[in-house]
Amino acid sequence: MGGLPGGPVDRSQHEVEDWERLADAINGALEGRGLQTTDQHRRAIESLEDYRHLSYYERWAAATERLLVEKGLLTSEEIDERAAQLERRWS
Amino acid sequence: MTYEPGDRIRVVPAGKPGHVRTPSYLRGKSGWVEAVIGPFPNPEDLAYGLSGLPARNLYKVGFKQVDLWDDYEGQAEDILYADVYEHWLEPGEGGTA
Repeated sequence: MGGLPGGPVDRSQHEVEDWERLADAINGALEGRGLQTTDQHRRAIESLEDYRHLSYYERWAAATERLLVEKGLLTSEEIDERAAQLERRWS
Repeated sequence: MTYEPGDRIRVVPAGKPGHVRTPSYLRGKSGWVEAVIGPFPNPEDLAYGLSGLPARNLYKVGFKQVDLWDDYEGQAEDILYADVYEHWLEPGEGGTA
């Protein structure tokens, strides 16, 4: 990965989960509104401390959160609070 | 400076902090210009919300896989193509590919 040894490639097909579609859609919507660009999102993904331990769309979601906070559109507290609300509703 | 298809090039060996679109495994490696893709705003600046202007020329650059990996076990003629911006290239040795 990134030119470093990453072990064998997993060639099996993966089912796309709903939250992954949502992460993709939110990204598209933010770009459509001019609130985020692909290059900014890539830069945010690269800056994730736990990059290597996250799945593809976990990186997308974490990078989007980072950009939204960086741009002052949301705070980490607002995002955590909303996530806790949803968790209570679905658990 | 502008390169043309067939020109030998070397990828600038330097590291650069922040967002870059040139893979680290190509730094300092020699190859050739396969095609001129054209000018685009610099993604290294776009990544931080800047304009990315002036636009930089982007090239499709070819490398022999055996020149990239010490332990490459594939065919000797295997090639890797990468899109590399002009400011990451410098003139290389040996005329055309």
